[in-house]
This record gives sequence, C-alpha cells and structure tokens, in this order.
Amino acid sequence: MRKLLILFALCNISLSFAQENDSIVYKKRVLESTEVDFLLSYYKQDGVHSAVSGGMGSEDLTDVASNIIVSLPMNDDDILTFDVGISAYTSASSSNINPYDKTNTNPWQASSGASQSDALTSLVANYSHSSDDRNLVWNADVSFSNEYDYTSIGFGGGIAKLFNNKNTELSLKANVYLDQWRPIYPKELIDFADNRFFYDVIDENGISTSSYNPSMFSTIDKVNRNSYSASFGFSQVATKNMQFSLFFDVIQQQGLLSTPYHRVHFADKADYYVGQAQYIPVYETIQNQGVYKLADDIERLPDSRTKIPVGARLNYYLNERVTIRTYYRYYWDNWDITSHTASIELPIKISDKFTVFPMYRYYTQQQSKYFAAFEKHLSTEEFYTSDYDLSSFNANQYGFGVNYVDIFTNFQIWKFGLKNIDFRFNHYARSDGLNANIGSIGFKFVM
Amino acid sequence: MKKLIIVAVGFISLQSCKAVKEYDMQKINDTTMKLSAQTFERYETAFQVYREAAAGANGGKTGGGCGCN
Repeated sequence: MRKLLILFALCNISLSFAQENDSIVYKKRVLESTEVDFLLSYYKQDGVHSAVSGGMGSEDLTDVASNIIVSLPMNDDDILTFDVGISAYTSASSSNINPYDKTNTNPWQASSGASQSDALTSLVANYSHSSDDRNLVWNADVSFSNEYDYTSIGFGGGIAKLFNNKNTELSLKANVYLDQWRPIYPKELIDFADNRFFYDVIDENGISTSSYNPSMFSTIDKVNRNSYSASFGFSQVATKNMQFSLFFDVIQQQGLLSTPYHRVHFADKADYYVGQAQYIPVYETIQNQGVYKLADDIERLPDSRTKIPVGARLNYYLNERVTIRTYYRYYWDNWDITSHTASIELPIKISDKFTVFPMYRYYTQQQSKYFAAFEKHLSTEEFYTSDYDLSSFNANQYGFGVNYVDIFTNFQIWKFGLKNIDFRFNHYARSDGLNANIGSIGFKFVM
Repeated sequence: MKKLIIVAVGFISLQSCKAVKEYDMQKINDTTMKLSAQTFERYETAFQVYREAAAGANGGKTGGGCGCN
C-alpha cells in the first residue's frame, strides 16, 4: 500500500510540473489598491461554571472588540498589512479574583474590583510576496498583544506553492509566540502567603475559626508560556464546481499553561468561607447571596502540551445561487482531550449585491485527564483544574450572515469607496449550561 | 484514519491528471468558494479557542494571548 501511495505522489508531482511548464505567464498586480477593513464584534456569554470560583458561579462576560486592517500594495508583487485591534471586556468571573470588596460576597455576582474589566490591544504586521507567475507566495509576520496580566510577542512565516495550473496548492506555515504572564492570584491565597490575611473566616458549620491554612499554595516562579506551531496545508480543485483542502497542524506549548487565578477546592480538605453562614447550605445555587468559599489552591497543570488538529474543508458550487461550504476537524492533545468539529454554511445569492448564509456548527470534546468538577479533586493529585473549558461537553452554534458587495464602490468616504459590508450573528449553546451570542460586522473600503 | 488518507491521496492523484483550466475556474474563484475562514470570522474563532480546548487546523491563531476569561 505504501508503494501505491508513493506512485500516486510521483504521478502528482510529474504531471504538475509538466502542466506548469505549458502555462502562459502573465503578471497581474496582486493587490490593485489600498484596502482598509473596519471590523467590530460584540460578544456576551453567561454560564454557571466559573473557573475563577473553582468550577461554579457566574460566567457572565461581555466583550467588545474592534480591528482596523490596512493592506498596502508595495509594488506589483508585494503587500504589507497592518492589523491593529483593541478588545475590552467586563467579566463577573474574573471580578471574583477578589470577591471580598462587596457587601454580600458570593460567586454568582460580579465584584467591583480592578479585575472586573480589562483591555487587550494587539498589532500584527505581515509582509507577503508573490512570484512573477503567482505560483509561489511567501509571507512573514510579527505580532504583539498586551493585557493587564499578559503580554505576547509572536513571529512567523509561511510559504505556499501552486502547481498543476493552480489546481493544487501546498503550504507550510510556522509561528512562534513568546508569551509572559504577570500572575495575579485569588485574593485570599496571595494575602495568606504575604501574611496579610485578616479575614473573618467561618467553617462549614458557620462557626468562626482561624484554622484556614492553604498550605499547598505557592506563587509561580516561571511565568513564560511559549507556543510553537507548524501548519501544513494541501488544497485541490477537484472539478469545475468543487474544491477541498486538508490541514495538519502540530502545536507545542511550554511553560505556564495554567491560569494563576483559577481556584481549586479539594474534596479531602475542610471548607472555609467568608460571609453569612445561612447561605452555606445553598452555596452552589444562585440562592447564595452572601458567602464565598476560600480556595485550597490554584489550578496546576503540566508545563508542556502537544496539540494535533487535522482538518478538511470541502466547498461545492451547487448553482448560481447556492454554494455548500463544509468543514471538519479532529483534535487530539496529550492532556487526553479529543474533539470533533463539523460545520456547514450555505451562502445563497439573493441578488447581485446581497448574499445570505445560514450556518451551523457542532462541537464535541472529551475532557482532560486533569479536569474534575467543583470540589472533586483530591489534594494528593499532582495536576488539577476545575475549568469547564477542559471538561466533556457538546456545543451547538447556529446563526446567519449577510454580505453586501458593491464592485463599483459607489459610496465614498474621502478617497475610499465602500466595497463590502459583512454581518454575522451566531448563538452558541454548550451542554454544561454556557450560552453565548456573538455579532460581528465588517466594512471593506478600497482606495 | 489510514484508509481516509489512502482514499484522499488516490482521489487527489486522479484529479491532478485532469486539471481544470483557468478559464473554467469562474465557479471555483467565486468568493463563496474560498477555502479558508473569512476575515471577519476571526471573532468567532477567537471565542471558540477560548471556550473550547481544541484549536488549529482552521487557519486561526494557535497561540499567543491567554484566553483565560
């Protein structure tokens, strides 16, 4: 069978080169003029499994993000692109890194501390070059992003080669991200470690106590997180109406892969609280309006993770009105997570200018071996997390999009003409109770 | 998985023997036929990377940024 595969591959390569030599080379400008994209998104989620509160509590989060992408033609062959973004969020979950600055502390309501909101700024610069015959494209990029407790610097590059009268494309991409945490910890843990712990603590019977001693907690020395990724792509025009692509990535992460402010509560440790004793029996329900459980430790995860996703896309041009776009991905990592993703989109042209596209996406994953629910971990374990993003769940996402195109760019602002407007809305429902809505809109202008 | 790869390579090889000419590619070149996620899908990809363990093999970002909220 291996010989058969080699034979097929040789057949591919030889025919590709033969056909390529026959093609007539002419040169068209890669990007005719400067393009500017304005993108905006609004995301809102809520759920009941906050990792900051140890796997239960409000996951209410609102995020507004915006990007401006400017693509500049440097000459006939080269494009320089800048992508500047800012994203601002408010989060009930992360506000409870310090839940003690509100009168009725509990994991179901946002706190008013500094960690309730943050902003992420990002900048990506990309340079790409196409060969004269447009059959070879290479690019290089650098990126930077920053938020309150996290900074990321990245660089990478890629190359794509087209064969077979542009029917076949092989691509290779590699990226490195050198990230750094500035860890912030659950308030009670860092106060205890710094001998600033002066809380009125009660035990599970509501009796005042001074026995709270999170002895497993220690601050983190190594704060780097490095990610290395290599992506291999293959795409093929199959018929006049159909094309498909295959992707294979290898991602290696090293360093601090846990989140320093995610709490963990152990089943084999005594429970301690701050707040009103009458709410202890209903601690895990939304009826809890006045007590917060002190952490035993923060989540601990290995300092290495290998991820291997394999994906495929297949697009079929059904007729002048309808195209079928499909996608599938299988994912595996060495934390024992496996997942399947499948999606379908049906762009329907309702006029020369408008396309609508309903879409559906299904996702399912098997949990990490390091995950356990709220208060299910044992203190004897080496690694532990109660972050439900690493749990077993299914998710359904459905929505629609609208695309408006004006190839004549009749609407003008200063020197720029409006070419596209894109709008998408999606609802996301996870089987563990997390629900989210996301809307995004994009405007493309050309000079 | 092995069978899938064999079928895929075989299928691709057969197709490569019969290339679609550039003048026959108007359907393939339609914007709806693009073999990658669209630019403004990035926000959906970003939240999926945050809320799900899987990442990659979709042209999206596979590293950088904590994704922890």
